Amino acid sequence: MTGLARRVGLSLFGPLLAVLVALVISALVIALIGEDPIAAFRVMVDLGDSPSQQVQSIVVVLNRAVPLFLAGLAVAVAFRMGLFNIGVEGQYRLATVLAAAVGAAVVLPAPLHLLVIVVVAMVVGALWAGIVGVLKVTRGVSEVISSIMLNFIALGLASYLLTGPLRGSPPGASIITTSEIPGSGRVPSLNGLLTGLGLAEPRSGLYGFLLVAIVVGVVVAVLLKRTRFGFDLRATGLSPSAATASGVDARGMVVKTMLISGAIAGLIGLPDLLGSQYDYGTEFTAGLGFLGIAVALLGRSAPLGIALAALLFAFLDRAALPLQFADIPSSVVTIIQGTIVLAVVIANEVARRLALRSAERAGASAGPDSGVGDGGTPPPTSPDGGQRVRAGVPGDPQGAQA
Amino acid sequence: MAPADSPADGQGTAGGDAPLAVELRRITKRFPGVVANRDIELRVRRGEVHAIVGENGAGKSTLMKTLYGEHRPDEGEVLVDGRPVQFRSPADAIAAGIGMVHQHFMLADNFTVLENVVLGSEPTKRGRLDVAEARRRITDISDRYSLGLDPDALVEDLGVGDRQRVEIAKVLYRDARILILDEPTAVLVPQEVDELFGNLAELKREGLTVIFISHKLDEVRRVADSITVIRRGTTVGTADPRTTTAKQLAELMVGAELPTPETRESTVRDTPVLQLVDVTVTDAGERPVVDDVTLTVREGEVVGIAGVEGNGQAELVDAIMGLRPLAAGRVLLGTDDVTAWSTRARREAGVGFIPEDRHRQGMLLDAPLWENRILGHQTRPPAVKGPFIDRRGARADTARIMREYDVRAPGPDTLAVALSGGNQQKLIVGREMSAEPRLLVAAHPTRGVDVGAQSVVWELLKDARAEGLGIVLISADLDELIGLSDTLHVMLRGRLVATLDPGRVTPEELGGHMTGARTTAGAS
Repeated sequence: MTGLARRVGLSLFGPLLAVLVALVISALVIALIGEDPIAAFRVMVDLGDSPSQQVQSIVVVLNRAVPLFLAGLAVAVAFRMGLFNIGVEGQYRLATVLAAAVGAAVVLPAPLHLLVIVVVAMVVGALWAGIVGVLKVTRGVSEVISSIMLNFIALGLASYLLTGPLRGSPPGASIITTSEIPGSGRVPSLNGLLTGLGLAEPRSGLYGFLLVAIVVGVVVAVLLKRTRFGFDLRATGLSPSAATASGVDARGMVVKTMLISGAIAGLIGLPDLLGSQYDYGTEFTAGLGFLGIAVALLGRSAPLGIALAALLFAFLDRAALPLQFADIPSSVVTIIQGTIVLAVVIANEVARRLALRSAERAGASAGPDSGVGDGGTPPPTSPDGGQRVRAGVPGDPQGAQA
Repeated sequence: MAPADSPADGQGTAGGDAPLAVELRRITKRFPGVVANRDIELRVRRGEVHAIVGENGAGKSTLMKTLYGEHRPDEGEVLVDGRPVQFRSPADAIAAGIGMVHQHFMLADNFTVLENVVLGSEPTKRGRLDVAEARRRITDISDRYSLGLDPDALVEDLGVGDRQRVEIAKVLYRDARILILDEPTAVLVPQEVDELFGNLAELKREGLTVIFISHKLDEVRRVADSITVIRRGTTVGTADPRTTTAKQLAELMVGAELPTPETRESTVRDTPVLQLVDVTVTDAGERPVVDDVTLTVREGEVVGIAGVEGNGQAELVDAIMGLRPLAAGRVLLGTDDVTAWSTRARREAGVGFIPEDRHRQGMLLDAPLWENRILGHQTRPPAVKGPFIDRRGARADTARIMREYDVRAPGPDTLAVALSGGNQQKLIVGREMSAEPRLLVAAHPTRGVDVGAQSVVWELLKDARAEGLGIVLISADLDELIGLSDTLHVMLRGRLVATLDPGRVTPEELGGHMTGARTTAGAS
């Protein structure tokens, strides 16, 4: 089917164009601050000289990509329904500190211990996000506002819990942490798998949580694409009015979607917590929730796309350290990431228009009508990677086309 | 049919040697894989009302977009006032004196008439809106063409006819000499249509040229000085409205007999499928928008609801579908009291729904057709297996609907947005019928669809009715209401104010009831 190939091509076109534009802009910025862009890019793609260094670099990228992927998924599930869950940051921080505390406090055999930690994290994340959903359906509070506000509360609450009731580190220690999770609650590394494949043993362990993330990704993909629930969710995102008329309970969907988004968000901190840190402290990885928004945008809210986007962002993050060694400001990475996000919003819109035009032509080839005879015109794109949230104006005028 | 290339003599305004305001020569517009317009020839004399008729898929929209500069033709010439022109955008067309009045109004409801008219080309004085100048010009336009506009009225307070006149004023304000009116009567009741035609006569008298797109042939014959018929992307002839009958025009247009909505014999049975008992729906301000409505739909019965739009029909539909809570009253489906049921439960219980605005409520435009097949039927086979979507089943059933209901599209994977209005509507009708409903709520089922699709929809409704389906029919097309209904209620300001016999009432009488000019006592 050429139509399908065309659609796939168009969906790849946006992100690729965005990355390309971002590279050009970044090169200009690097040149402007008096550094050599080519040299900087060379440093970034250089994974190391020896095989063990290279494997180590790949492990670092993968370990970073796992939480980014989960964060992207959490954001994307809400995006698909037309909801903006900006509160992923707060959801995962609160979930992680409580999961860490519970993990350190309970004594259970290995698989059960791990399961308890994961369930606690998901429940906390879901409940925290659920507040946003309940506020939206009962009081009409915009989820953007409430989730941002709840971020502040969550971060404050997490700090209070960490320094107060859940503090595990001795008084006077420079870094405050929760107590350490014992071995039965940790996720073993996948280094055995790497050496089994004939690769060099890396210095740090490849997170076993990678497998969990893959499972979550598959589950989300199936949920969205293959289930009735996912259909209702996507239908609501495409057209709330049409979904309601089809019998979807819009209010219930808002709460359910936020619960799912929050439950996934609760997992974001676990790869680091259970794979290398074993406790939650003041130095725990921050900002993953916000990066998740960028990753979901770049991945166009589709699990596979999010995986690729997470890998790209993780790859860029890894380059920060080598850049510093090469005396190039590591903010280059942030600049590239920022421009990618900006460019992807623009590129998605361009790609969407192209897709629309090709769809119209496809329709036109079935009959003599150009297919836009009575007002089927695009309302503005929402920033969720081309998934449009239809405001539902009756008789939406054709003006947007002109 | 009477191909009338001969000059329209008599009637004064359009003399035989009047120069051509618009001439299209051999216009061809291709889209990949299809020729939307082929060798279009159109000659519109200055100062005449020129109607363009044709089915919805015939290429009228494409042609008007060419003329209004929304896209460029691949071949052929556009001449305005005898001079060849090339429009790169509607702005060029406006500069050349061409204005378009769209079928869907493009007005800001919370702005005044004046603000809406000047919007986009505001007269300014020292960087500020020159209200006095704007008012002077609008009053001038309103007086000259008898539009009767109050520049300070809020658009949201205006009726449909007034809004249309605001649209016309907008175009005239931009100094258009040639007006394109796209299906202007689709939203009007007969009285308003008369007013519009009065306005068009004024425009004509002032020497303006009107291009009038329609598929309502009686109206076209009343108002047009000459008619061009388009079929399958090309002009098939011109006709003189005074010597051509509607039937002849229709044959020219579709190459077949004009379908009639009239039903054969009554198929009404005794068992009620839907009963509304004292149903009241209020708006946000607690004002009743549906006021104490009681009606019964029996098996095999079509209950028509006539009314000027905005008199509570949409809210009544919402109440039946469970999309809006009732302030009072009960809804019974068969013998079940479904007042507290969700929309989904009602749909599962056998309620089909053809919504008024298919883009807003009936389709996911950005989704493929097979996903649109699932919409509204998420809990039932063949599209769904347990909690999972049955993609293969949905695709296969979509293909079946496309075949049986003549939905013209490349395949089930085509995006819904790519289909013309008529094809979208046929898909919706096919989808709703496929679930074998007990009750069908059909709001404007043939709005904006071409004659061919219209007859298909009418036939489907008649067949389903004969098999015992109860239908609530809401429509602005009075012929459709009178022709299809077994019982006809008139809704005015939220109340059912009259019940008429569709076998005896005329569209004019019905229109009178709809506007409140007639009372039940004065009927028959």
